[in-house]
Amino acid sequence: MKKTSIVVFILFLTGFMQAQDRPQPKPGKAPVVNIKKPQTFVLANGLKVMIVEDHKLPRVTYNLTLDNAPYAEGKIKGVDDLTSSLIGNGSKKIAKDPFNEEIEFLGADVNFSSSGASANSLSKYANRILELMADGALNPNFTQVEFDKEKAKMLEGLKTQEKSVTTISNRVTDALAFGKKHPSGEFVTEETLKNVSLADVQANYQNYFVPENAYLVIIGDVKYKKIKSVVEKLFGKWEKRSAPKLTYPAPENVAFTQINFVDMPNAVQSEILLVNTVKLKMSDPDFFPAVIAAYILGGGSESYLFMNLREKHAWTYGAYAEIGSSKYDSKLKSTAAVRNMVTDSAVVEFIKEIKKIRTEKVSEEALTNVKARYIGRFVMQVEKPQSVARYALNIETEDLPEDFYENYIKNINAVTPEQVQLAANKYFLVDNTRIVIAGKGAEVIPGLESLKIPIFYFDKYGNPVEKPVLKKEVPAGVTAKIVLDNYIKAIGGEKAIATVKTISMLGSTTIPQAPSPLTFTNKMDSKGKLMVEIAMGPMSLMKQVVNEKGAYVVQQGQRKNIEGNDLAEMKASAIPFEEVQLAKKTGIVLTGIESINGSEAYAVQNGKTTKYYDTKSGLKVAESKTMEQAGKTMTQTTNYGDYRAVKGVKIPFNIIQNVGFELDIKMSDVKINEGVTDADFQ
Amino acid sequence: MALSAALLLGGIASAQKVDFEEYTLDNGLHVILHNDSSAPVVVTSVMYHVGAKDENPERTGFAHFFEHLLFEGTENIKRGEWFKIVSSNGGVNNANTSDDRTYYYEVFPSNNLELGLWMESERMLHPVINQIGVDTQNEVVKEEKRMRMDNQPYGNFLTAVKENMFKNHPYRWMPIGSMAHLDAATLEEFQAFNKKFYTPNNAVLVVAGQIDIAQTKEWVQKYFGAIKRGEELKKQTFVEEPITQTIKATYQDPNIQIPAIVTSYRTPSMKTRDARVLDLISSYLSGGKSSKLYKKIVDEKKMALEIGAFGFNQEDYGMYIIYGLPMGNFTLADLQKEIDEEVVKIQTELISEKDYQKLQNTFENRFVNANSNLEGIAENLATYHLLYGDINLINNEIELYHSITREEIREVAKKYLNPNQRLILDYVPSTEKAQN
Repeated sequence: MKKTSIVVFILFLTGFMQAQDRPQPKPGKAPVVNIKKPQTFVLANGLKVMIVEDHKLPRVTYNLTLDNAPYAEGKIKGVDDLTSSLIGNGSKKIAKDPFNEEIEFLGADVNFSSSGASANSLSKYANRILELMADGALNPNFTQVEFDKEKAKMLEGLKTQEKSVTTISNRVTDALAFGKKHPSGEFVTEETLKNVSLADVQANYQNYFVPENAYLVIIGDVKYKKIKSVVEKLFGKWEKRSAPKLTYPAPENVAFTQINFVDMPNAVQSEILLVNTVKLKMSDPDFFPAVIAAYILGGGSESYLFMNLREKHAWTYGAYAEIGSSKYDSKLKSTAAVRNMVTDSAVVEFIKEIKKIRTEKVSEEALTNVKARYIGRFVMQVEKPQSVARYALNIETEDLPEDFYENYIKNINAVTPEQVQLAANKYFLVDNTRIVIAGKGAEVIPGLESLKIPIFYFDKYGNPVEKPVLKKEVPAGVTAKIVLDNYIKAIGGEKAIATVKTISMLGSTTIPQAPSPLTFTNKMDSKGKLMVEIAMGPMSLMKQVVNEKGAYVVQQGQRKNIEGNDLAEMKASAIPFEEVQLAKKTGIVLTGIESINGSEAYAVQNGKTTKYYDTKSGLKVAESKTMEQAGKTMTQTTNYGDYRAVKGVKIPFNIIQNVGFELDIKMSDVKINEGVTDADFQ
Repeated sequence: MALSAALLLGGIASAQKVDFEEYTLDNGLHVILHNDSSAPVVVTSVMYHVGAKDENPERTGFAHFFEHLLFEGTENIKRGEWFKIVSSNGGVNNANTSDDRTYYYEVFPSNNLELGLWMESERMLHPVINQIGVDTQNEVVKEEKRMRMDNQPYGNFLTAVKENMFKNHPYRWMPIGSMAHLDAATLEEFQAFNKKFYTPNNAVLVVAGQIDIAQTKEWVQKYFGAIKRGEELKKQTFVEEPITQTIKATYQDPNIQIPAIVTSYRTPSMKTRDARVLDLISSYLSGGKSSKLYKKIVDEKKMALEIGAFGFNQEDYGMYIIYGLPMGNFTLADLQKEIDEEVVKIQTELISEKDYQKLQNTFENRFVNANSNLEGIAENLATYHLLYGDINLINNEIELYHSITREEIREVAKKYLNPNQRLILDYVPSTEKAQN
């Protein structure tokens, strides 16, 4: 016993001594901070130029910023983005290709947007690159050809994000928080983008690309005197103009805290975003208390939110809060992406932490730490040439007092816990917050409902919708026969169907593997004959026939006869309106209501096939079939849509078949009792 | 022509030389010091020569997991205090993990250099690796994977490429690893991994910024000198048979609507000259609006929304990856054909003198910018020493690029970029219906 305790004692002692040996070092003497100012001059047209000479590396960067007020683009939302992608595609003097080639030949980077331009270059090409940047920005050449190209790319580009939970969550949050008529709330859609014309882009450029509030910042290996004369020559001719001043509705926060839910069935995490709009300018007296409050709530890895949601519960990779500061409307948002299961619990913790910073004074320790962080960053940044330029620009664009950065450390140190709490109460409107959640409804809504916070549902464009159907029982009294009968009624009635002797459908589709569109032909008659063919030009890729003799499939020249069970099944469905027979058959089961492409549909099962009929229109919207292939069970689904009447009978003009990829067939010609002969079924 | 003549006279880059001093402690820790007095900032960083490729195939994700675990605390830094110490002293910190190495760093105002050294030495000497840390970080890493990969459009693109490109080499898995492996791992396994790899003789310490060299050396000795040398490690070698037949694969992503075509060729170690030649080829094909692929496929023929090529350069093998997103009715096969035509051209014709000069200018600009901030210099110094085995590359790698000829570009394209040496991956929207 004794021996053991000695060992323990020694071990303890060693550990103890080691710890004592290695105390946390104290900071050395605080470095002296020098706040430098750029050299500046103003051109007659209003352009302010700031130059920071820095000869450490043989390079230079240019930054032209137009500090225009935000404006709503409305029906032509996207015009600004399009202007951005078109400006700098060459100029009126130099065509696009030689323009881009020269920039890239010099190894430089030049970027243009509707609100400015930027470039970085080796200093030996400094003058030429500035010349090209000025030329591209001030003499843009907007052409129809480039316009069409960029617009087509942007339209296609919209699709790349259409299923992104993050993108949709951000879009809906801004649309709801600011309103869709507000510059920060509106967003680009296919529709608004299609409304934009080349003339709109030209007008946009004409109106807003003006020197009134323009700043040109030059940092690097240049000489002030030399570059000044280059700037005067290049930008002196820029015509003096001001941008139009447009108004838009001010955003309003909600009257009570609510959940705004967007159903994203593909989500594996819920994006949670608590938001209210704020007005907070950098020059406001409570600017520092407000940003410090936001930082303590959710600014870094020791914030209330991070320590709770990540470090304590491990529900998320990170939880953050951020307050916008601007001359214009901005927002306070608290966010995290959490796994589906814990969505409701995370909401509770978010609210708890926001309430905490409103009701409890932050500890002196937390406040001191945050101050140290802000001051530390300032000290590390302040002498870098980029910071010298950025601070000078902020003083201009954010209307700050000239000595804002001289007093920066002093003002941060002066912030008290009381001021932080006041700011939290003023800006973190926990009782007027939207809790926007984009996630998988089926898995997270039941939990959210238990929170007793009102829930409103929105689609991915921020339009109000009904609560999504999660799982639904069939209403009493509805049977498979009733569903089938309703379908028959919906497409024209048994009488009209009885007159149909033959149907001929012609359409086309594209597949990833084929270079050109494929033609689709489907013919059938009421006696049980069927022919389906997919061809590329004159070449048949797949043909399937059912006739009196039997059935066969020809694929890439190989013919295969269908026999046995498969033949019987194929024959049974080789009639125009199978439902007429099914309605009379037994063993057909109505299994429930499911969501098909966002609408409710009855599911009617017949053996290995399930057909779906829209609960409202009665029309067949889909069919799925399970089959065995190479020892694996596979489900093949077909969607039906775009029903149009042909001789009194409704026929789907759009069939989407899922055969490992989507075969989206659009009909161009559907005929009833015309265009079909027995020879078609040989 | 007048232009290029002028440029030839312009000559070679005059980038500032990065001065440094290096030495090795008795325990094997290599130390690199770089003094830059231009701003009161200091970076302290440690790069450990351990990455995903050092993991047991049954326990993937360990190196990245440590990137989380080693912030949990040390014998003198309580759990949860790490971030507080850094930020309350005005600093920032982070870490990142690749297949080849793990990198930890702090950036402080220069009066906290000693603190930075103390923290990194605490992490190397006696990190606390316990069950509570493992359990917490296990969940956090799962959320990281969901957020970065499973919930993002094209988020599993590299996963799909890697698992098809490598059969033997650990490059076949992603640093994030397998969640099942992490669930199965015991505390003892984590502790053993730490003991084996996170040792002074398997690491390099970089101190860069406004420093006093003599004082820095004294502190380095004080804090790191006593750390015990670890076992001598010998890097395992894994040989991949050359790809001789096109590998075809498909990956389904539920978060996308537009498919992507991906072509990937296996390339040699980033340390080789050939890998640098492939960097030039990559820039030639897809760097900027006047590059061959962009100009033809995106701009002129309007067949793709986006096209790109990049070298995924690594210590043992690399990958050269070309990808594209088709526009409208164009198919993946259409894009593949156009891409292949351009590759064949590089293999059969010399690139023009003008294009060659453009490449040289581009790389010169890149080289100047690579050392334009302190954090970048610190990481480059560590990388060139630890992975390339030649720290002087920080000042002279550009000469290597300048010495590559047009003929070499053609030969290297012929050697590595043949149709039978690659993976063709169709990265397509998921067919499972996820209706939005």
